[in-house]
Amino acid sequence: MPAPQRAPLRRALLASGTLAALLLMPPALADVSPAAGLPLEEQVEICAACHGSDGNSTRERTPSLAGQPPLTITNQMIYFRERLRQAEEMTPQARGLSDAEIQALAAYYAEQPVAAPAGEPDADLMARGSELSRSQGCASCHTADYSGREQMPRLAGQREDYLVHAMRAYRERTRGGPDTTMIDIMRGVSDEEIAALAHYLAHAGQ
Amino acid sequence: MPPACLKRLTLAVSVAGLAAAGSLTAALADNHQPAWAQGRSAEMADSPLAPHATPLTVTAREDIPLDHLRLPDGFSAEIWAHGMPGARMMARGDEGTLFIGTRGIGRVYAVLDNGGDEREHRIIAEGLTQPNGVAFKDGSLYVAAINRIFRYDDIETHLANGELPEPEELTEAFGLPDDQHHGWKFLAFGPDGRLYVPVGAPCNGCEVDPDTHATIHSFEPDGSDMRVEARGVRNSVGFDFHPETGELWFTDNNQDWISEHGPNDELNRLSETGEHFGFPYCHGVGVIDPELGDADACNGTTLPAATLDPHSAPLGMRFYSGDMFPEEYRNAMFIASRGSWNRTLSAGYDVRVAMISYDGERAGMSPFLVGFLDPRENTFSGRPVDVLQMPDGALLVSDEQNGAIYRISYETPSYME
Repeated sequence: MPAPQRAPLRRALLASGTLAALLLMPPALADVSPAAGLPLEEQVEICAACHGSDGNSTRERTPSLAGQPPLTITNQMIYFRERLRQAEEMTPQARGLSDAEIQALAAYYAEQPVAAPAGEPDADLMARGSELSRSQGCASCHTADYSGREQMPRLAGQREDYLVHAMRAYRERTRGGPDTTMIDIMRGVSDEEIAALAHYLAHAGQ
Repeated sequence: MPPACLKRLTLAVSVAGLAAAGSLTAALADNHQPAWAQGRSAEMADSPLAPHATPLTVTAREDIPLDHLRLPDGFSAEIWAHGMPGARMMARGDEGTLFIGTRGIGRVYAVLDNGGDEREHRIIAEGLTQPNGVAFKDGSLYVAAINRIFRYDDIETHLANGELPEPEELTEAFGLPDDQHHGWKFLAFGPDGRLYVPVGAPCNGCEVDPDTHATIHSFEPDGSDMRVEARGVRNSVGFDFHPETGELWFTDNNQDWISEHGPNDELNRLSETGEHFGFPYCHGVGVIDPELGDADACNGTTLPAATLDPHSAPLGMRFYSGDMFPEEYRNAMFIASRGSWNRTLSAGYDVRVAMISYDGERAGMSPFLVGFLDPRENTFSGRPVDVLQMPDGALLVSDEQNGAIYRISYETPSYME
């Protein structure tokens, strides 16, 4: 369990030693996202390096952001920024972004069209994944077409390898964050079941 | 104490057996649900009812629904501080700093009350797991997260010097459970100088160890000398001590998924150390738990001093001892209800006032601050979580939905002068 993350601030405050400096300072000084303070078009170019120029990721184990509900992206970015969800890649990208910057990025990606998934669906895997999704109740939060809702992400059209990665991380409790719903859902789900679910969800709506 | 029932244990064993036999999918359907869905019946499996997500972002001042609020004549509300996503429980320092706990966003805020209209706030801790509980005593701020307890000594002196003190970690001294489910803590000091800490049931409904869960504990401020003050308390997230008798009064949130219309949430009075308030066998005004309770389930348990609407989530509550409000409010309690999710017709989202009976054992409840809930549309615009009396007798109300603190003040209406 990490210590409360305010040691860098404390050092900075001690160095400055004045209340006036305290009033002007953002919550953390040590690391600020390269995207902080840039216009949206330039911020999106930074995100594009991993998440694709149109928000459809072409990079292994990296999620697509296109078509995600705005609150999904907003909340996850705030979890990264506040170090509530541990992710070495994303926390440095999120530190120092304001709520308004995060919400503008989320609104942008929510509007981007979702690309068709790579490869043809496998009929057996689709049937097995559909059955598992029913028994796990995926649609009750992620909606009947798996397009997501509010803080609950779109699964339809997401990268299959990312879905596998995310579900395994929940099962192994390596994906932290304040919302533990998925840890409860994924407890004890086998690799074979995760593979079928990921294939089905990635191709859902095709 | 009602006898323990073994039904749950039997169920758990049979599910484990199924999984071992390879019928994993069947077991998952029964067992692998989010914590909030525990107790939901099969016919409710497709119910749209689920907890409402709390915004993690700043609500702009112009979007704070101040103009929705309605109060009795003579009372008015203003925005006292804002821009603090997830603001929940409040504690005031001796020098006037308001400390505010949160849940999902993991922060503790400090509002520096410099008397101006636009108060500055600082984030004094972040990255914590649901640091809901805050309490202040002898210059020190106490913070309780789900898994940790900290003490920040001379906090206001340090803040005035532009510093943050290194906290003392008291987690091991208190030795509290760290369950996520109902594990967020409320903190308050009693008139006896002890620190009172509730430990919620780690479930919607289940058998619990009556010495460790569904309790209100008290400790010396250093975490020593633990006492169980109250048992059978499913999940209290607010309490206060009567200004004259010193008795502990507390809110309690009752079980979900039993019914839209029950059991009622509770306001309770502790008259005896260790008293049992019913959970998990007997709820509200005497509703026997359909799974765990038998015919005698309510014998020997204390019923509420007053009830609130089922699922309305009464949380922070404080006695009023100030001079600003009319005399009838003296020693009354203000109770903030965060509002329901586990019923189709919403309830709560308000602040109620509870007036105590002549014998000091019961209370009557009536609306005080309303308007966040729109009953025509069945929608809400704010979620009150805590109340706090200021030295001038005004009442602060925290709104978790909008990250705002309102100040309620009183002036005698002109028609009464």
